[in-house]
Amino acid sequence: MPDGFDKDVYPEPPRRTPAVEKQTGLPNPADILIKLFQYTVDVPVTTFRDWVERQHERNRFYYYQQKFRRVPDLTECKLGDHLCNYEAEMQWRRDHKVDQEIVKVIKERLGACQQREGNSYLQNCDKEMNQFRQVSKAYQSRYGDLGAYGSAQKCLMKQKHRMIAERKETAAED
Amino acid sequence: MAGMSVLRVAAGFAARLNPFKQGFSNGRLLTRTTPKTESAAVRYGSHGKPMFVFKPSDYYDRRFLHLLRYYILLTGIPVAAIITYINVFIGEAELAEIPENYVPEHWEYYKHPITRWIARNLYDPPEKNYEKMMALIEIESEKAEMRRTQMDVRKLMREKGDGPWYHYETMDKSLIDYSPKSTPDN
Repeated sequence: MPDGFDKDVYPEPPRRTPAVEKQTGLPNPADILIKLFQYTVDVPVTTFRDWVERQHERNRFYYYQQKFRRVPDLTECKLGDHLCNYEAEMQWRRDHKVDQEIVKVIKERLGACQQREGNSYLQNCDKEMNQFRQVSKAYQSRYGDLGAYGSAQKCLMKQKHRMIAERKETAAED
Repeated sequence: MAGMSVLRVAAGFAARLNPFKQGFSNGRLLTRTTPKTESAAVRYGSHGKPMFVFKPSDYYDRRFLHLLRYYILLTGIPVAAIITYINVFIGEAELAEIPENYVPEHWEYYKHPITRWIARNLYDPPEKNYEKMMALIEIESEKAEMRRTQMDVRKLMREKGDGPWYHYETMDKSLIDYSPKSTPDN
């Protein structure tokens, strides 16, 4: 993520550079190495990248995110209405893809948190961990064992069985 | 001091490798004469005797590798050059919000210029595929509908007999000759 990322979700860790108190007159070899790396690698690469960016600036073009209209669900389709079924199925597939990407983003956040915290990630990454657990549990319960040929109808049937099981549970409790 | 001994060892090694070429490693640069071949101590692995080394032929292996490199690079280099040119001088698209009252073309939803070109020139727009699929589904569902109604109509007309189908022409009843069975003694 070079730029344009959410600073709240990926916070920068606090800097831990110590205050330098030089006690010798000799130059710091770390400084020399840093300068060496900077002038041999960093500066040429940055100038090349800037030149490439200038070439890109000359003819800019854009790409957009395609927004699809919402169509009636599978629950709102009549029985023999195959067209309605098809559109609902396509919408379900798009939503499935979106949900997969959501799970990936949450997983990436957890990974970033672990990378940030280092060895104390078990203690400090609670929020991201809970969020990931919640999201993956929800994904599992909705799209979980549908299999490779999962479709909107199978998902709906799974939801129906889930609701039946819930109802049985609440009935058993009462 | 250690560096000097390393340099001296390197000079001796270079002299051993090629005893005739003693360019700058020799100390007697100013008073140079052609060095005698016996003066440099050379130690051959074959004890001084010229050896004719038997090796299996590497002609086929080298030919194969040469041809492999040739055929891979024949299209590889132009493709790599074109892709580098496109990535450096044309560049990828930037993400932007859809402007007001503007419907983007179907290729404007992709980032890389080559993908955009393929989507623009080679592929059909996904809306067209969608509509084609929906048309097929419509046709098939209409066919299924018609076939189902025809089946129902056939069943009912045959059963009830009050429709235009299943009318079998029978003879005129007045033509029937009842004479063979008209009296009980026939």
